[in-house]
This record gives sequence, structure tokens and C-alpha cells, in this order.
Amino acid sequence: MSGEPLLRVRGVHRRFRTGPTVVHALRGVSFDVAAGSMVALVGRSGSGKTTLLNVIGGLDRPDAGTVHVDGTDVTTLDEDGLSRLRREKVSYVFQSFGLIPVLSAAENVAAPLRMARVAPTERERRVALLLELIGLADHAQQRPAELSGGQQQRVAIARALAASPQLLLADEPTGQLDAETGLSVMALLRGIVESEGVTVVVSTHDAVMMALADRVIRIHDGHLDEQAAGQPDTPTPDAG
Amino acid sequence: MNKRLTLRWPAPHWPSIRGRGRTDAGPLLLTAAVIAAVALLAGAAPALLRAAADTAVQDTVRRAGNDSNVLVHANFERDDGPTGGRVRMPSLAEAVDNFRARATDALGPDLDAALLPPVAAVNGPILGITDGSEPRTFQFTYLAGDLGGPDVTWIAGSAPGPAVSDEYVEMPYDGPPWPVQVGLSEADAAALDLGPGDRIPVRDGQGRDKDVRISGIYRPADSADPAWRLAPALLRPVPGADGVGTTRFAGLLSRESLPDARLAIDEDQLRRTVHFAPAPDALTWDATAALARQVVKLKATSGSSSDRDRSLKWQSQLDTALRDARVRNSAASAQAAVLLAGVLTATVLVLLLAADLLVRRRTPVLSAARQRGAALPDLGAELVVESTVVALSAAAVGLALARAAAPGVSWTWAVPVVLAGAVAGPVFGTLAAARASRDRRQPANPAARRWIRATGQLRRAAVEAAVLIAAVAAFVTLHQRGLLPVAPDGDTGELNGDLILPVSALALGALVGALVVLRLLPLGARFALRQALRSRRPLAVFGAAQAATTAGRALPLLVLISTTALASFALILGTTVTRGLTDGAWSTVGADARLDVGADAEAATPALAERIAGAPGVGQVVVAQVTDSARVFTESTLLTPRLVVVDTAAFQRLLATTPLPDAPALARLTAPGPGRGDVPALVRSSDGSLRTGTRLQLPREGAPAIRLTAVGAAPSVGGADDVVIVDATALADAGLPAVPNTVWVTGPGAARAVSNTGVAADVVLRADVLREQRAAPLTAGLVRLAWTAAAVLLALGLLGLMLAAAASASQRWQTLTRLRTLGLRPRDARWVAAGELLPPVVVTAVCGPLLGALLARLTLGPLDLLLLTGQADDPAAVLPWWLLGLVSLALLAAAATVVPVESALRRRDRLSEVLRAGG
Repeated sequence: MSGEPLLRVRGVHRRFRTGPTVVHALRGVSFDVAAGSMVALVGRSGSGKTTLLNVIGGLDRPDAGTVHVDGTDVTTLDEDGLSRLRREKVSYVFQSFGLIPVLSAAENVAAPLRMARVAPTERERRVALLLELIGLADHAQQRPAELSGGQQQRVAIARALAASPQLLLADEPTGQLDAETGLSVMALLRGIVESEGVTVVVSTHDAVMMALADRVIRIHDGHLDEQAAGQPDTPTPDAG
Repeated sequence: MNKRLTLRWPAPHWPSIRGRGRTDAGPLLLTAAVIAAVALLAGAAPALLRAAADTAVQDTVRRAGNDSNVLVHANFERDDGPTGGRVRMPSLAEAVDNFRARATDALGPDLDAALLPPVAAVNGPILGITDGSEPRTFQFTYLAGDLGGPDVTWIAGSAPGPAVSDEYVEMPYDGPPWPVQVGLSEADAAALDLGPGDRIPVRDGQGRDKDVRISGIYRPADSADPAWRLAPALLRPVPGADGVGTTRFAGLLSRESLPDARLAIDEDQLRRTVHFAPAPDALTWDATAALARQVVKLKATSGSSSDRDRSLKWQSQLDTALRDARVRNSAASAQAAVLLAGVLTATVLVLLLAADLLVRRRTPVLSAARQRGAALPDLGAELVVESTVVALSAAAVGLALARAAAPGVSWTWAVPVVLAGAVAGPVFGTLAAARASRDRRQPANPAARRWIRATGQLRRAAVEAAVLIAAVAAFVTLHQRGLLPVAPDGDTGELNGDLILPVSALALGALVGALVVLRLLPLGARFALRQALRSRRPLAVFGAAQAATTAGRALPLLVLISTTALASFALILGTTVTRGLTDGAWSTVGADARLDVGADAEAATPALAERIAGAPGVGQVVVAQVTDSARVFTESTLLTPRLVVVDTAAFQRLLATTPLPDAPALARLTAPGPGRGDVPALVRSSDGSLRTGTRLQLPREGAPAIRLTAVGAAPSVGGADDVVIVDATALADAGLPAVPNTVWVTGPGAARAVSNTGVAADVVLRADVLREQRAAPLTAGLVRLAWTAAAVLLALGLLGLMLAAAASASQRWQTLTRLRTLGLRPRDARWVAAGELLPPVVVTAVCGPLLGALLARLTLGPLDLLLLTGQADDPAAVLPWWLLGLVSLALLAAAATVVPVESALRRRDRLSEVLRAGG
């Protein structure tokens, strides 16, 4: 890790109430992520990975604690502020791609740029660059249904990168892909960190992904256990 | 392994059934409510129409009047005497009684029960009255029922007696006229200016004088006694009965004078007839076919017409009246069936949509159960148990309510709805569970992806082609065969197998229309998207993209378009019938009011018309001489059209101020005649026997016939099919001045102006006729059904809109949430949601009513609406634009409320929850 932390998470608690039962998804989670690094969040299903990503991206509000992205406290932003944050600083990649089926790959990638009202010429240039980056320049005019699952996820990644975010949150991006395709997507993410300088936090079950990450943060029952990349069995003290 | 060992009955897990039922109680109750409501409509409507059919049969027979009587004729036995003369038969009245009894026995029990006690009438020939310049005729008549003839009071003189007191008298053939005594009514006596003891100067067709003496003047005890209807001239003089300008008088014979009447005329000139009038209250729909068959059978067994043949000869229009009633009822039943088929089709689609929503809610549970190892047959059986209980219970409630509201219940129509309710949920649910255990990943191989797409498109095209072929077949059958049963007697009042296809034409047409829109909507949405992509407004792009993404969803659009089109059709049908009744009333009366002036007041008609014309609020006043069943000859045939002698210019002005069709051909009646001495006439006939160029002869009493030449087509007058119209001045110039007996009056003050004229005249008001026609059982029933069907279909359409919105809500908010992760603001998300929801509704609001109008244009003709409206021709579809606009507005308003309501409901949902729920 190097430089100032882009992401600062402090004492985040999140509880869910299901009828009379209260589930503690996050129990005082704290950690920092430096800009330009790739962090893998790992843990069993229900351990709180997705909840943590949602809280970081402002899709969910914590019951306690703070989340700072590039110095902005996400937890205090109103809806417009969150929208601005997502347009300018944070973007997402989901397991189920979430592409707009009637738009071509290029138009899907251009969606955030349209939202940011980027000029058409600049938009086209940026889209072409990103499609080149993900290796789908030849598939620019194809619609999602004409693409394979891996290609669709690449388009989703390109879309997430379109508005030049500082933080990219990816929730099990290889969950619906076979092993080989998943590996290529993960390699792409790693390459993006290197080439674009984007900070990536990715939740995953995949051991290869863990190997590609700069850090691996293990979540267990709402608590964090941090370990260095390439040393999945070595626990590190809770940052918080 | 023995395969039988691996087969087992599905084993439903009852706690799961109960649990799912409790969780999804709302959608299940909604499904049940739809099934119950439609079962109520489908169960009650046919039963109510069936009940109306009895009333309609009775109504038709009542309207037919004397035409529906059953008449029996038989010749008298010959009266040749042993010495070459004619023998007086003093027991002739007893012979008539025997004849009446014989006719009654021949009726058979069913027909006898449907007819009133008979009245025998014995009529002499039409004799000419030689006194006076006006053409007048005379006939003597004997009436006898089971209890004798109609009661009279002799106010002067006495009842007719025998001419001779001897028991046996033989009259030579060449002897002097045999005297016969008759009684005269007060009105006849006053008109003839004769009294008791006077002779009526009459002469037969061969110019032989007859010795008819007046024994007394009588007054009927009850002038409404049905027996008098057989010979109305016995009460008062009857104009036009024996030709234009003639007046008929009649003399009443007694049992004692009847034998003398026989000798007073030629041997074969005295006719005896037994009249059976129907008892309308005893007629029912079920009995009509058998009664009509019995009447036809009696008519077919009538013997020859030779003079010596004394067998019974039957004559009646009752079978025709009953068949007309059956045809009208068949038409009403078929029209109702068309509407019901539309409602059922829409209901089935809505139930499919409800099942789709239910299964979307249950997919996670079903998928989890499947992934835990639940067998598909077991899951399917659980869903079948649940849906069957819901569907059958709801249908039972609906049919029970129908039984309470109607005199009977028809469960046949509820079957499709129950089946759809019972089957749709299990099929969709089992498919959803099956998909849970399948590999859902997109194939990496492009060819495989293309194959999947092509297979889906092929399946869809096959279904659409099947619907299209069925619709084409249905429309062809509808237009070629129609909706009426081939043999009216064979109509049981239930929907026959051969009627299913034409009855389904409307529903299939609506489905085809919806499928066409379904094919076009994605093209339109993609076009809009292409335009939006050129714009700089992101909301336009995302809204258009959402619309294009969802434009291909079949079920919601099918429901919306079909229900709206069918509701619009029902509104058009109801409006067309309602307008048709108005037009029918105009056609029947010919103006706002009509006066049918009595014969004794005919002379006062012109003065009466002038007085009416001066009354406030009166527009046009036209007098005419209208003669029903006027005798007109072509070269070879006697025709009996309605003859209208009228001032042509005034008649044209009258037509111009009413909704009745103009008749420009009337102008030809005042032009010079086509042939020398010929009077121009307009003609109209139902069988085409009268057409332009036809030459006619109008016979006159004691003068040469007037020659007419048809110079054009006549408009319908008073709803008559066969009409001849002649200009009054032209006819007068030809030697036959008109004696007006009809006054047509238009204007808001017409009813008041004709109400107190002080002249003996029947007043016919258009408003009264319209009220009667609207209250006619079948018509009122069909109109009520049309309005009800429209309301139900609109409700189904709105429900379909809500269900479609609810079914797609999860996916829509998933997409919107993903867009919000790209930075879309919440208020912008609502616009994008509107972009998805509004286009199909806007398209429906425009195309639904238009499709309904198109279907009305294609199907109203074969529906035979004129049988109910009384119009002369098939009514053209009347488009109630404001009602159709309301339908569209209701849909748009409902759609406009969906987005804010949905947005409000989901305001508390965190984006993370939406994304998590969507997996």
C-alpha cells in the first residue's frame, strides 16, 4: 500500500431486523484502503461482505460509524450528495452485470458519461478507449444478449470505469462466470488498477482473485480479519 | 430396474401449501375475486336472457295481433234439394258449432293449451252498396264462440229472425232474392242513415240485387271483446278494406238468420272460419318450437280447395311469428355470447397475468425448494391443489350469487375461467421451479445464443400464426354463416358447437389486433430509443431504453389492448343499439307524432292538420293517405304494399327535418309521367318484386284501374318493407283524389299539438314508441349486458395494468437502482420509470378504442342488430367518442398514478435491499 488512504472505514455497525430477530451484519468494522490498491473482501456467505460494500458505496447507511471516500463522509450525504458521489467517485460492478439489454456495448459504457453530461465527442473517445481496454472494441455495437457472460461483465467493468471513478466496488464479479472467464475478468480488474490507478474493493470467494489483490480482508460474522495478499492463512490485527 | 418402481404419485407437502397460501393471500384473493365476479356475470347473463326470451315470445305474438291467429276454413256441405233447388238448412248454426269443435280437437293438446277458446265466423261475400256516390261495400257476418256470439244490446228493433217459419223449404235456383235479416251497429246505421225495417241496397259482383233487411240496431256490450276484431266493420265502418277510397259496412247475423244468408247468395259464397287467438301468457320459449311445428303440420295437412271438400284447411302466421321470436332470441343470445366470449378471453388473460405475478413473488421460494431437492411433480401437485381450491371456491361463490340474482344459472361459460384459474398458476410455478435447477448462464458460443433466440422466436411465431388462422376462420365463418342457427327450430338457446367459432371472432380479432400492436411496439420503442440516443438528455435515453426493454413483454400488452378493444366494442355495440332504437322509432312513426285518423273523421283531416300546424312548437305537418295492404297489380301478380298518397314536396321537407334518410327520388313524382297517362310512383319491396320500371295497376271500384310506373326507390314508411308512394296531386289528376287519414307532425310541440285534437284518431308518439322499444325484454337485456361487459372489461383492463406494473415492479426498480448506482437522482428515476410504464398504456389508449371500432365495423353486420332495433337495414356502427375517450383517460390516469404510488411504496427500500433482492 502507498499514499493517503482513499477509503477510511471506522467503527461501522449494521444490524438487520427480521421480525423479532436482529442480525448483526457488521460489528464495528474499521479499515483503510490506500488509493490505487486492490483489496479483496473474503468470507462465507452471510459474513457481511456485500453489506460492507453497500455501506462503503452509500447504498446502505450504517447504524453507527463513518465511511470516508476521498475525504467525504458518505454516511452524512443526502440522496443528491450520494448521487453526485456515485457519478464522480464511486462505481459498482455486480455479479449479474446489470447492463441495459437494448443498448449496445458502447452505449452501455457511455451511460455514466451521459449522466455526467459529457460532450458527445469526448464520450465517444472515452468509450472507444475503455472498450479497447477491456478487449471488446470489435463488439462495440453488439447488444448484451449477443455477448457471452464474460464479455458482458467486461462491459459492466468498462461502464463502471467510464466516469473515471476513484473507487470501484465489485460484488462477486465472477459469480456467474466459469473459472476461465472469471480469471480473465479478474486479470482485467488487476490491470485496471495498474493502468487507471483506480482503487478496487472486490468481494470474492475466488482464491485466484485473492492472489491478485494487494490485500485480503477476511470478514467473519461481521468482524474483520486482515491478511496480506498471498498469505491467506495469516491473520492480522483488526484495523479498528 | 423395474421402471414402475420409480414412478409414484405426487406427494404434496401440506404445510408448504398452507404456508404459501398464507403468505400470498392477497394475490390469491384477487384471483378468486376475479373468478367469482366473472362467474357471476357468465352464470347470470344467459339465464337472464333465457327468462327474457319467454317475455319476448309473448311480446312478439301480441304485436302480431290477428296475424298470429290460427284460422281453420271448411266448406259447407252442399244444399241441393231433391227437386232441383236449394234447401234451407235450419240447423246451419249447429253445423258451425260442430265445425268449431272439430277444429279444436285437431289442434292437439299443446297448441290447444296455447290458444284462447275459438270463435267461429261465417262471412258472406263482399257486396256493393248501390245507394250513394261513394264506393261502399257490405258483408254479413255470423260470430259464434263456445258461449255464443259477442253480447249486444238491441237499442232499436230486434235480433235478426228467420225469413220463413217452415222447417223445410226448397228455393229454386232462379227464384227471387232470398230475404235475410241482419242487425246493424249504431255507427254503421248512422253512416248509412238506415234503421230497423229498412233494406240495405246491395248487389253482388254479378250485378244481382240482394234482399238484406235490417231487423234492429245494436250496441256491443263490450266493444273490446276479441270476437269483434274478426269483423271490425260490425262495430263501425272500416275505410280502405276493399280498396282505396272504399268503406266497408257489415251486418250481424243470428243463429236464426244464418240459414237465410246461405240462400241469399250463391251456394259456395258463404265462408266459415274458426279463429283461434293465441294466449300470449301461455307461450314460453321452450314451447315455441313444438308449437310452430304443429302449426306447420296442420297447414300441411290442409285438404284440397275443391267445392265439395269439407276437410279442414288451416291458415296461420303464428308459426312465422314464433319463428321470428326465436330468430330474434337467437340473435340476442348470439350477440350476448359474443360479448361474453370477449369478457371470458379478457378474464383468462388477466388470470394468466395474476398467475405470473404470483409466481414471480414465489420464484425464490420455489427455486429454493427445488434446489433442496423437491420433485417437480410434488411442487406442481401442491400448486394444483391450491389453485383448484381457489378457482372452484370462487366459481361456486360467483355461480351461487348468479343463482340468487337470476332465475337460473348457466355454468358452461364459467368453465374457461375456472380452468385458467386452476391451471395457469401451477404451470407457471412448475416452470419457474424447473428453471431453478437449470444452468442459467448465457452460452459463450454465439451460435448457441442465436439458436436459443431463434427457437424462442419460432415458438412465438407459431402461437401467433395459430391465433391468426383461428381468427381468420372465425371471421370467415361469421360473415358466411352468421350467428343465427341454420334451423330456427333447432336452436336450444344454448351455445352450439358450430357457433363457437363465429362467436369467438370478436375475441380472436381483439387478440390478433393486440398481437399486431405487440409486434409494432418494440419497433416504435427502438425508433424512439434511436432518436433519444441522438439527444443530450440522459433521461430520454434511459426512459426510452426502459421502454424498449419492456416493449416485448407479451402478456401485459395483450391484456391491455384486448380489454380496451373489447370494452370499446361493447360501448360501440350498446351505443349502436341505443341509436338504432331511436332510428327505429323514427322509422316506425315517421315523425315526432303521427295521427291515424278514423274513417268517420277523414274529411276533417286537412282542417285538423292546419290547426296542428298553428300550434306552438310544431315544425312540419304533412297529411297523407296511407293504406296498408293496398291491392296493387303487376302484370301477373297481386301485391299488397303500403300505399302512401302524399304531397311530395311537403313529404320531402318533412324528411329533411328528421333523421330519416332523405329521398331525392321523391322529386320524380311531380315530374311528367314516363308513359302517357301513367302516374309516377316510388316503390320498395323486400323481395325485389317492385323495382324501377315496374308497371302497376291500382284498381278502382266501378272505374278503370289507374296505371302507375315505378320511377325510383321509395323510402321506408312506417317501417314497412313493401311501399308504393304516389304524389297526391298526380293521383287526383288521374281521377282518384286522396282522402288523407294520416298526419305526421314534427317539432318539440308535436306531442302536445296532437294530444287534444277532438277528432277520433289514434295518436302515435315517437317518444312512446322509443320507450316501448327500449323496454322490450331482449333489447333491454342486451343493452344492459353491453354496458356491464364494458364496465367489467374496463375494470379488467385497469386490473391488468396494476398487475402488470406489480409483476414488473421488482425488475424495474432493480434496473432503476442500478442506474442510481451510476448516479441517477431519485426524482429522475421516477421519470425513467414513467418512461417504461407509459408507452404501452399510451399505445393502448390510442390503439384499443381504434381496434374496438375496427372490430365493430367488421362484426356488427353479421350480428343482425336490426332484429332488435327494428331498423330497416343493418345499423352502421355508432362510435361514442366521448365514452371511448373516457376509457383511454381512465387507463392514462391509472398509469399516471402507478409511478408515484410505486415510488412512495419503495421510498423506504434501501438501494442495497433492492439489489440484494434482485440477486
